[in-house]
Amino acid sequence: MTVAVVLLAIALVGALAMCVTLLRRVARAEVAVAAAVSAAEEARSVDPDDSLPRLVAALDALSLGVVVADVDEVLGFRNRSAEEILSSRDSRTIIDRAVRELLVEAVRGEPGEREIDLFGPPRRTFLIRAVPLAGASGMAVGGGSVAVIEDVTERRRTDQVRRDFVSNISHELKTPVGALGLLAETIDDETDPATVRRFTERMGVEVTRLSRTIDDLLELSRIEFADDLFIDDSPIGAIVEEVLARFRGSADLRGVELRAMGELDVVVAGDRRQITSAISNLVDNAVKYSPDGAEVTVSVTCTADAVSVTVADTGDGIPARDLDRVFERFYRVDRARSRDTGGTGLGLAIVRHIAHNHGGEVSVRSREGHGTEFTLTLPVAPKRPPLNDRSNDESEVTA
Amino acid sequence: MVSDTGLRVEFHESLDDLRDDIVRLGALTVETIGKGTAAVLDRDLHAAQRLIDGDDVIDTLAISIEESCYRLLALQQPMAGDLRFIVCALRFASELERSADLMVNICKASRRIYDVTMSPTVRSLVEDMSIEAASLTRKAIDAFADADEGMAAALDDIDDRLDELQVEFVESIFASHEAERIGLRSAVQLALIGRYYERIGDHAVNMGERVTFMVTGWLPEHAAVARLEMRNRRTTPGV
Repeated sequence: MTVAVVLLAIALVGALAMCVTLLRRVARAEVAVAAAVSAAEEARSVDPDDSLPRLVAALDALSLGVVVADVDEVLGFRNRSAEEILSSRDSRTIIDRAVRELLVEAVRGEPGEREIDLFGPPRRTFLIRAVPLAGASGMAVGGGSVAVIEDVTERRRTDQVRRDFVSNISHELKTPVGALGLLAETIDDETDPATVRRFTERMGVEVTRLSRTIDDLLELSRIEFADDLFIDDSPIGAIVEEVLARFRGSADLRGVELRAMGELDVVVAGDRRQITSAISNLVDNAVKYSPDGAEVTVSVTCTADAVSVTVADTGDGIPARDLDRVFERFYRVDRARSRDTGGTGLGLAIVRHIAHNHGGEVSVRSREGHGTEFTLTLPVAPKRPPLNDRSNDESEVTA
Repeated sequence: MVSDTGLRVEFHESLDDLRDDIVRLGALTVETIGKGTAAVLDRDLHAAQRLIDGDDVIDTLAISIEESCYRLLALQQPMAGDLRFIVCALRFASELERSADLMVNICKASRRIYDVTMSPTVRSLVEDMSIEAASLTRKAIDAFADADEGMAAALDDIDDRLDELQVEFVESIFASHEAERIGLRSAVQLALIGRYYERIGDHAVNMGERVTFMVTGWLPEHAAVARLEMRNRRTTPGV
C-alpha cells in the first residue's frame, strides 16, 4: 500500500513536472510566435506590401542606370544597368567618377547633370542626372541622393540629323535662289551684251541645279509612298546594262571604264523603274567620285532568296565617321566637292527608300584612299514592309 | 583593434581598388587615342587643346595609383603573387600615362601641320593605326584585369600589324612628298605621328610582358639575362 502511494506520488510529481515543462514550452512558443508576429507586423509597417524585392526587380528591369548614395555620401544601391555600366572595362567605366561627384553634390542639396561623350568604340553619349532625396523628417535633403544614368546616343544622333537636315535643305534651296536674285539684279543694270549673256548662262546653271534638286525631292516623295510600287519581273542584267549605257558617255569623257559582271541573268520581282533609279544613283556616284582612268564595276550575286548588286569604285573613299550618315538626305561628306560634281545630296536617300520599299537593304563599305562599295540587296520575292514600319526611314527623323 | 584577418581583407580590398583604378586609367587612355585621332583627322584645334589639357587628369590618376602601390608595399609587405600584382600595377600606371602623353604629342604635331591636306590614303592609315593602338591597349588592360597570360603573350604578335601599318604609312608619306602634295617639314611631322602610334603599341606589348611576369614570375628579359650570364661564364678565364 505504502509502495503504491509512493509510486502514485512520484507519478503525480512527474506529471506535474511535465505539465510545468509543457506550460513553459507553450509559454516560450507563445512568446516566440508573438515576437515573430510583431516582427512581421513591424516589417509590414516599414514595407507595407512586401514590395522591396519587387521594387529592386523593377529597378533592375530599367534600361536606365540608377545609383543611390546614403546621407554619408557612401554609394549603396546600384541597379543592374548601373552595375553593368560602372563595372565595365571599356570606356564606360570613366562615368563612375562623374556619378560619384554628382551624387556627393546632390547629398549636399545641389542637383546636377552632366553629359559625357565616349569615343569607344562604339561612340556613345551618356547623360547623368543626380538629385537629393528627401529626409525622414520631410526635409528636402537629408535622405542621400540618387543618380540616373541614361544612354542618349540615339537621341543625340537624331537631334544632329534633324539639325543638319534643316541646315542642309536651307543651304541647297537658298543658294541657287540667292544667286539667281543677284544675277537678275546685275543684269538689270547691265548694257554690255557679252556680260548679259555670261550672266544668263550662269542663271541657267543655277536654274538647272535648283530644278534637279526639286526633281529629286519629288522623286523621293513619290518613292516614300510604297503603295504605288508596280511589281513585275525585273531582269537585273538588262537593268544594269541600261544604266551603264546611260553613263557610258560621261564615263568615257574621263576615261572611266564601266564593267558589269556576275549573275546577270537573274530576275527579281520588283518595281523596274525604282530598281533602275537605285542602280543609276549608285553608278552615277561611282563615276563622279572615280579618278580619271579608273574602273567602276557592277557585280550581281545571287542567293536562294536575295539578289545583291554591288557597285564598286576606286575613288578616294568615305571617311569611317561619315559612313553611317551618307544615306541621310542632303548629307555631304565633302560639301565643296559634291557641289562641283553636281550632286543634289538626295541620291543615296532615294536608294535607301527603294531598298526599303522592296523589303531589302543597302549597305556601304569604304576605305579612304582605296574606294567604296555600295551593295543593294533585294529579295527575289519582295517582302513589303508594313506601312507603319518606318524605323529605318529617315523621313521619321528629318520630316 | 583590427584583427589579422581584418587586415588581410582590407589589403585584398585595396588590391581590388588598385585593379579598378588601372582599368579606369586604361579606359581614359583608350578614349584619348580615339579623341586625339578625331582631332587630327578633323583638324579640330579646340579638340586637340582639350585633349592636351585633359592629360592632367590622366597624370593625376597615374600618380595616385603609384602612391597607392608604394603605400601597399610599405605597409602590407606583400609577397609572391600579391607583390608581383602591385609591381605590375606600378608599371601599368607608367606605361599608360606614357601612351596618353604620346597622344598629346600627336595632337601637338597635328597643330604644326594644320594647313596641310592629308591624302585619303594617309588619313585612312592614321585611322587604322589609331584603331590598332587602341585595340592593343584595351587588350593589355583586359589581360591585366583577367590575369590572362595567353592574351598577354599574344600582344607582341598582334603588335606586328601596327608595325606594318607604320611602315605603310611612312611609304605613303614619301609618295605624297614625291608628288609634291606635302613639304618636307609636314612629311617629318606626319612620320612622327606614325612613330607615336607605333610606340603606343610597344607600350601595350610591355604591359603584356608585365602581365606574364605577374602571372608566372617570368619575364622575356630573363632569357636575355641567362644568355648574357652564359656568355660571361664562357669568356671568363678559369671558369
